[in-house]
Amino acid sequence: MRMLKNKVSLITGCNRGIGKAILELYAQNGSKIYAHSRKKNEDFVEFLNHLSEKYDVEIIPVFWDLTDYNEMKIFFRKLVKSKEYIDVLVNNAGVTYNSLFLMSSIVELRKQFEVNFFALYQLTQYIVKLMTKAKKGSIINVSSTAAFDGNMGKSAYGPSKAAVHALTQTLSAELGAYNIRVNSVAPGVTDTDMLKSMPENIVLETIEQTDIKRLGKPIDIANTVLFLGSDYSSYISGQVIRVDGGLK
Amino acid sequence: MVNNKNIIVTGALSGIGKATIEVLLKHNAKVFACIQFETEQYSDYLLKLNKEFPDKIIPIVMDLNDENSIKEAVKKIRSYKISIDGLLNIAGMTEDAIFQMISLEQMKKIMNINFFAQMKFTQYIVKLMLKKGFGSIVNVSSISGVDGNEGQTSYSSSKGAIISATKTLSKELASKGIRVNAIAPGTIATRMTDKVPLEILNKQLSKVNLKRIGQAEEVANLLMFLASDFSSYITGQVIRVDGGM
Repeated sequence: MRMLKNKVSLITGCNRGIGKAILELYAQNGSKIYAHSRKKNEDFVEFLNHLSEKYDVEIIPVFWDLTDYNEMKIFFRKLVKSKEYIDVLVNNAGVTYNSLFLMSSIVELRKQFEVNFFALYQLTQYIVKLMTKAKKGSIINVSSTAAFDGNMGKSAYGPSKAAVHALTQTLSAELGAYNIRVNSVAPGVTDTDMLKSMPENIVLETIEQTDIKRLGKPIDIANTVLFLGSDYSSYISGQVIRVDGGLK
Repeated sequence: MVNNKNIIVTGALSGIGKATIEVLLKHNAKVFACIQFETEQYSDYLLKLNKEFPDKIIPIVMDLNDENSIKEAVKKIRSYKISIDGLLNIAGMTEDAIFQMISLEQMKKIMNINFFAQMKFTQYIVKLMLKKGFGSIVNVSSISGVDGNEGQTSYSSSKGAIISATKTLSKELASKGIRVNAIAPGTIATRMTDKVPLEILNKQLSKVNLKRIGQAEEVANLLMFLASDFSSYITGQVIRVDGGM
């Protein structure tokens, strides 16, 4: 069963981790994909070709630094020119630096907000222009449980993701009338490169705090992002779905 | 999504329950359809479903008002000797009245169907799931159980109790392979909303971001997702399917 048949998706930051899992799952489910990554990379392009052949879907690689608003504009213009439409926008790209509050510089704080919030905001604004015209669409923001739970060392990352959550709810209210759904997915502790930035004892402690007693896998998150991108979730909007194994 | 899974659905007679068995059957699950009583109309409907999906639907008569009936239903489910992958607790009822007008009897009746009986039944089914160390339970709560709602003290309290039980059960059972989640539907087109005066219904819908009423099938899709392995890292959650409010 191909849950995203005849849909076009844009996924940011899909060269590794959760984004890569979303990319593969979306391809498997029949979506045409604009696969965004920051830097051009031959291995990544090869991987996209492999997916495209394997699942018989069109995948278009797009490269730009998310915080380069000029490049973003150029990408959007190309979309408009080619009369392309985006059904599903997955705002996945994000950065994190862990540091205790007193050790955190305002520069790092701004950097995280720049990628995790401002760039997401601007890109979403562009894509929503296309979606309001078509009167349909689904936007999925990959947030984090750190936005709600308050985790040590996340005084910048947590608030940047909390801002994304507030944006999710506002956009859901503003765009619902255009049949555009906006939701966020909040992964808990997930087995990705980002996890390597956390001390091992904290990771083990966090696993102990989940009901399910294991780390999340990128595919666990991708499955929920797939559900929210598909028409199976047609009455779900303004929600944050925690995929965290029951983290307390 | 639920290919070859064996799933128990309560409240399968109408509304969300009925939509859920249809969605599950379409996705190739085997369904135990628990209904409060048999009617001729429903038997015809089952025959029709059975023709379309042979050997995929097993009707179980279970009156949640009657502990013996619950026990008998469990016995019958057990007699099939197949493992149970999912339990969707959908059955529920409401009798709306403002707080000052509700009798203790009424309150007990609602609490009994919506909470105590569901817990009793869940207890039996969990025992079956524990044998295999696998399963997914989804309890249908309501936005009324999260937000409160005028005229629904008894209903919202019972749905709030379900949410609390969901979280505790997740803590107790997730490490044993059984996930437990709740969903909170908003305004959904069912017999329950048919009784709501149009003026109130319109007022409710104006608060919905998507500006429309939800369909039972849209709730069923979320139930299916949570019963499936697509949600294998989701537990202890309450997911609203309310069009955004």
